[in-house]
Amino acid sequence: MIAKAMTEGIGLLRAPQRIVPLIGKLVSDRMRISFEQRHLYSYATIKRDSGEALNSSLRWVLDAQRPDGGIAAYYSLLTGYSAAYPEVTGYIVPTLYDFSRAKDDQGAAAAAERATGWLLSLQMPTGAFPGGLHDGFPRGDTQPSVFNTGQILQGLVRAHAETNRPEILRAAIAAGNWLTDAQHADGSWSGPGAYQGVPHTYYSMVAWALAALSERCGDRRYALAAEKNLDWVVAHFRPGGWVDGINLKGHPNYLHFIAYVLQGVLECGILRRRNDSIHSVTKSAWVLLRKFETNKCLRGSYEAEFNSGQSFTCLTGNAQMSCVWLRLFEVNGDLRYLNAALKMNEMLKQLIPARGRRGIAGGVSGSYPIWGRYQPLRYISWGNKFFSDALLLEQRLKPSTEVSALEALPCAS
Amino acid sequence: MRIVILSASIYSETACAMAVRMAESGFVPVGALALSITDRGTLLRKLGQWGGRGVLRYARTKLIPHCRDAQPGVNNPYLEPLLKHRNGVFRSLRQVAACYAFAVETCRDQNSPDAIARLKEWSPDLVIFAGGNILRKPLLQVPRLGVLNVHLGLLPEVRGMSSPEWSLLKHIPVGITIHYMDEGIDTGPILQTSEFPKVAECGSLSDLRHRLIAYGVAKVADVVAGVDQGMVSATPQSNFAQDGQFFVMHEWLQARASEYLTKRRLPAVAETVNG
Repeated sequence: MIAKAMTEGIGLLRAPQRIVPLIGKLVSDRMRISFEQRHLYSYATIKRDSGEALNSSLRWVLDAQRPDGGIAAYYSLLTGYSAAYPEVTGYIVPTLYDFSRAKDDQGAAAAAERATGWLLSLQMPTGAFPGGLHDGFPRGDTQPSVFNTGQILQGLVRAHAETNRPEILRAAIAAGNWLTDAQHADGSWSGPGAYQGVPHTYYSMVAWALAALSERCGDRRYALAAEKNLDWVVAHFRPGGWVDGINLKGHPNYLHFIAYVLQGVLECGILRRRNDSIHSVTKSAWVLLRKFETNKCLRGSYEAEFNSGQSFTCLTGNAQMSCVWLRLFEVNGDLRYLNAALKMNEMLKQLIPARGRRGIAGGVSGSYPIWGRYQPLRYISWGNKFFSDALLLEQRLKPSTEVSALEALPCAS
Repeated sequence: MRIVILSASIYSETACAMAVRMAESGFVPVGALALSITDRGTLLRKLGQWGGRGVLRYARTKLIPHCRDAQPGVNNPYLEPLLKHRNGVFRSLRQVAACYAFAVETCRDQNSPDAIARLKEWSPDLVIFAGGNILRKPLLQVPRLGVLNVHLGLLPEVRGMSSPEWSLLKHIPVGITIHYMDEGIDTGPILQTSEFPKVAECGSLSDLRHRLIAYGVAKVADVVAGVDQGMVSATPQSNFAQDGQFFVMHEWLQARASEYLTKRRLPAVAETVNG
């Protein structure tokens, strides 16, 4: 911890030009926190155009891409851009392709291809992908990571769907095989490839990737592995919506990880047509929706049963919840999910800098205020990934709220 | 029957119209308890709702009624018949109170001990909620019969905020519900639900809201008379299988509701009175 703080401090000394934006951000968040009357806001009014915010968010991602194709994990107000992060580079690939299609932007598709090429160069002989950041130097102690392999698999499956290149499918299948081999009989993953060696319910994101691979290559083995994990995760949902088994020793249950569980179970459930999974997620998502609508914010982390938590805002988790609500609206047609997501996106748009230097403008900070506990003083690439996803989903689903489409929606009564 | 009216401000048109309607129906209120307009929370809420210009325009209209560019009529034209009197238009509860001889008090929080003490002095049989704070148990327990609310949606289907708009988008008939309040949001026992018969005539969402408010004000006096005569009783809400709570509607969806209102004709009207 002390070493990390010293490294960050030295980073600032090496680049004193970062002092002004750092102080500016600290002061602006301090003032906003002091004077805002958040309990009086409803975020029901559009104050910033979603299309412009989406462009700005994607521009941040493209700026964070290195010449070799890897995307930096974060831009720190102290140390600048980090090394490239294979995990995020992997699961940002679908976002880049979605943006490219939505905006007819070939630059984003080219960035996705460069990212995919870089990922292929990192795959281990076992089919796994390494954990942690990748600074470009060969490392003998690189460990394979279940979660990162799953997240990268997500990108590989999409890249193959877009390009049909056989080497991408081969890499995806190798990753899928490694994941299914490493899976325990109960459906979970633990041991050396798992974070802190223990099983986690947020590995439902891995199940989602396996289900997507099964759809892509038509091999049922991956679907079975996905469903096995789904069974294990769904068994951790409590009747009140809380999910056990996030299991991060030394960390609170950040909203980011709670939302990971929900996203993974929901998306995997949709792909596998598992109503039990969708039902479980709906319950948790509704609890969080009520909290957001009532308090005008979600906490950065929660204790069991969503009873209490830390008061900072985890912007990434908020963007993920917007994605979950939008997908639930798509599944069940309940406009309250769309309504909450639109308001969440409004809130996020207001908290994301429209101007600033490279690395700051359009960046999604780990926490609001910037010194909050989750990724303090950093703009994080996975925050931009989920924020962009939320805005892309918003744009895709808005036409379904036209009057003609509304007539087809189920009634509440 | 001893009736007290709760209001969000002494300048609330709805509260003024409600007081007039009750008085004209033979139930002159014993008092009205309004939130102070200088309350910081109220001011900030109004700033959030209307913006700075809206608040200034409202203040000018209410506080300087003869100001040249001030709005000459009332904000809700459907309340005008109730608010008009020989010398002009009732602009505050104090003017209504002077006409019908009842007391008006202001407070910073309707749940505060002072406000509850004042309310107890009036020993009301019934409190009519025409705006203000979310009411807590100590206040709800003061009136002998309960606190009555006019909700702009049909319960139990549409609870909470933006009810007319949600009703339109969710294909639920637009209407009002008169119910007793409890500690939940619009979960108390129902006295009357009424579908609104003139939705197709409404030109905009604000027009619909104005008409619904006037419709509610008209209906509430009938319900109070029914309660007084023992002809109307309350039915607990039971349909909680689906959570029918709705929240403030986003601008985008409001625009869709508005389109729906102008393009659609709504189903036939039905009315249910619990007797």
